[in-house]
Amino acid sequence: MKKLLTAIFAMASTTCALAQETTTSPLEISGSVDTYFKYDFAKKPNNITTSFASDHNSVSLGMIDIALKKKTGKASFVGELSFGPRGQTQSIPDAAAGGSSFHIQNLYVNYDFTDQFSMTAGYMGTFIGYEVISPVGNFNYSTSYLFTNGPFQNAGIKATYKFSDKVSLMAGVFNDWNVYSASRGVSAVGGQLMVAPVEGWTAYLNVLSGAGAGGYGTIEDLTTSYQITDKFKLGLNAANYDIDNDGGGYAGAALYPQYAVADGVTLGLRGEYFKYKNVGPVQGVKYTAVTFTANIKSGGLTFIPEVRLDHSGDKPFFKESGAAAPNAGQFSLAAVYAF
Amino acid sequence: MKYIILILLVACSIHLSAQQKQFSKDDDGKFIYYKVVDSQSLSKDTLLQRAKSFVNVAYKKSMKQESATDSSVLAKGTMLIDKTVLVVGHPSGELSYNFVFEARNGKYRFWLTDLLFIPYQRDRYGNFVATTKVGVPLERTPGKLSAGAWKDIVNSAYNKMEKFEEDFKKYLVTNRVEKVKKKTETISTKKW
Repeated sequence: MKKLLTAIFAMASTTCALAQETTTSPLEISGSVDTYFKYDFAKKPNNITTSFASDHNSVSLGMIDIALKKKTGKASFVGELSFGPRGQTQSIPDAAAGGSSFHIQNLYVNYDFTDQFSMTAGYMGTFIGYEVISPVGNFNYSTSYLFTNGPFQNAGIKATYKFSDKVSLMAGVFNDWNVYSASRGVSAVGGQLMVAPVEGWTAYLNVLSGAGAGGYGTIEDLTTSYQITDKFKLGLNAANYDIDNDGGGYAGAALYPQYAVADGVTLGLRGEYFKYKNVGPVQGVKYTAVTFTANIKSGGLTFIPEVRLDHSGDKPFFKESGAAAPNAGQFSLAAVYAF
Repeated sequence: MKYIILILLVACSIHLSAQQKQFSKDDDGKFIYYKVVDSQSLSKDTLLQRAKSFVNVAYKKSMKQESATDSSVLAKGTMLIDKTVLVVGHPSGELSYNFVFEARNGKYRFWLTDLLFIPYQRDRYGNFVATTKVGVPLERTPGKLSAGAWKDIVNSAYNKMEKFEEDFKKYLVTNRVEKVKKKTETISTKKW
């Protein structure tokens, strides 16, 4: 026992000493766990077809997400894996593989050549759009049509140059969307201009052109958020996706006002307009959606009650009887723990 | 068994001592980390020159000198607040502060105040980044929901300031010129 304890303390001391003598950062371990209950007002699962939280009248699982990050000198890596429906069957690459494994959220290496210039290679969360797969990164628990139809992740190599804290530029080459290895070669180019014109306001102008969902096409995307006061934040996402040869695409915009009503309690709305583009003579469906969400935080835990109402004149939703309907609604209550 | 009890007692005492750490408040009711240090062997000019070097060289990535006089240095800085246990953890936010240093012959004082906490959140790439540019004063009274988490942040901030104090004091008593000279000594293995 004595030897074991001595060995443990000796190892810990050695590790600490090494950490002090080098510029190695601690190994970062973080992640999240989420679960939810959802009730569709027409009692239909998947009535609103945006990503995740698809079950009806069920206490269901989101995912467990575990991320590791380590930086030694100028080099760093991030590896992030998720398990559970949100990270398996409902995430695109793993769904394609049968949904029985796990989903890589991020797996990349980064090298900071200077304080301004860095390069990153691997599989990364997409730089397009406002919302992300991880429920910790979103205010609303349900997701927007813009998120669902845009890329989730991009594998590729990118270079980022930071001109100042207010301006940076990223450019890179990527595989087609949401695949661990390219099915059509390194076939897309992308870029991101970040500007932070005033304190609290950050805007990202994104372009991704090449192989994507439905064929070759180009997305232009604006993602921005502005912390206008210490209580009020406004976010905006607008995007346009054109698939070559009249192959469709989409266009839409979503507004995200959020107001902190008390310490740890924030109320927010998401208002979205979204339209699939026409494919030849086939008219694209239009949607409007309003989502009212509260975030109630206590330490690492966040409760997310949410009511969502969607409308489409094209009647893509269902009534309880199974008949087509122009409206759909749902209530959900999610619990998300971040560590 | 007795070793386990001993470890538990040590862990409890460490935990209790961590709880007892508390910031003082200045005339405006803000948290302040204030220290007066006797340094009889060093002149005012030496102390001042080393304090400037600490800000502009040793801590240049996290501090920025705002102004200086013949007896004082003012700077702004930030420090990471994290949940690190030994070598595992992740940053939970950053603390911005104003640093004031004043020197006299044989002693100096310094303090950190205007402490503002900016929380971090993991971004889409797995990196912890600031969620807002607007900092929250560390001396605020948190609501019931976030009281526990806020206490951890205040404790972590205090620990970081103790580490800052340790680094600063060590830097001010160290003659860096002699240290550099010592480092350049070479050893020949041709003759022995």
